[in-house]
Amino acid sequence: MTITRQEFLLRASLDDGTLEAWVAEEWLIPGGSTAEPAFTDADIARAALIRDLKHELDVNDPGIGVILSLLDQVHGLRRTLADLLRDMRERREPNG
Amino acid sequence: MRDPYEILGVEKSASLEDIRKSYRKLAKKFHPDLNPGSKSAEEQFKEVSSAYDLLSDADKRARFDRGEIDAAGAERPRQRFYKDFAEDSDHVYTDASGYEDFATGDDLFAEILRRQAQARANAPGPDMHYRLPVDFLDAVNGGTIRLGVPDGGTLEVKIPAGIETGQVLRLRGKGGPGRGTGKPGDALVEVEVRPHRFFAREGDDIHVELPITLSEAVLGGEVPVPTPTGPVMMRVPKNSNTGATLRLRGKGVRRHGGGHGDELVRLKVMLPPAPDPELEKFAAGWQAGKSYDPRREMQS
Repeated sequence: MTITRQEFLLRASLDDGTLEAWVAEEWLIPGGSTAEPAFTDADIARAALIRDLKHELDVNDPGIGVILSLLDQVHGLRRTLADLLRDMRERREPNG
Repeated sequence: MRDPYEILGVEKSASLEDIRKSYRKLAKKFHPDLNPGSKSAEEQFKEVSSAYDLLSDADKRARFDRGEIDAAGAERPRQRFYKDFAEDSDHVYTDASGYEDFATGDDLFAEILRRQAQARANAPGPDMHYRLPVDFLDAVNGGTIRLGVPDGGTLEVKIPAGIETGQVLRLRGKGGPGRGTGKPGDALVEVEVRPHRFFAREGDDIHVELPITLSEAVLGGEVPVPTPTGPVMMRVPKNSNTGATLRLRGKGVRRHGGGHGDELVRLKVMLPPAPDPELEKFAAGWQAGKSYDPRREMQS
């Protein structure tokens, strides 16, 4: 389910300029075209995380970039680990 | 819930700055997105944030200190955390490049990485959302409308007869392109029916107000009536009043289960715009008209 730019700004409580800055930093990567970007619920949650880092945890902008990049790697790793475990369980099951 | 001062690890006399400092430290440690997969961190973060919400608000803190409110009920309504989405398979952010060096040779791990890369390469396209204004009569009768889309193309949208504002039409495969062999997404078109000059719609029925002349009202006769499918002749009975409603069966909107609604024609008697001496003379000498009191029911 995709969300239009206008609805995204509303639901993520962001203003236009902030969104543009975050997209320019590649903290947020909307789908769709440049003229008509499409956002998802995951983007809304990611925007909330960026806001927490910035305003609640007082992380500066370069720090946010580093954290997001490491987090994305952690999630890639977690997903691969989950796939690996699932695969191993499936292989073990036929024999009991 | 535990004592908020205890949760944040500060003295009762702590300044707002101390409270904030302590909150930041704990939030950094327990933020669920910085501890994906840890249930206990999420619980602790919730506790820390509600304690901070209570103590960072001078008014609430004073009321808590006086014992007027307890620490419960300060629960912060929270959006879903990013970690809840981060492991979806078609995710643009997730980065699997950090351990490609593990995948040497033909082992299980290499196979899993290959499968993941393939799933990413062939991810289905996103659904695209549009809003389409539709003329009242097109919505009632159905039709085909061309919708310009942002990439410069057009979409032919088939409007089924009887569609209403808020209904969403799904055009399969007309959304964003998929990657690789991934299927394109769908176009979801939300319909917004424009109002009509004189027709209105209620459910499957069409309502219209039809002006008639004094002679038509008094003597009755055949008058042309507009309907969504073109004008028809309708018989106005003798002595028809303003407000009388006549029903044209089957001239309404097509129903889901077959058949049509009706058109309801509300009559409205209109005098000619210019005064007419002959009519004035008649009305002045018309006894029955004077003895009739149309406002009788309004008297208390």
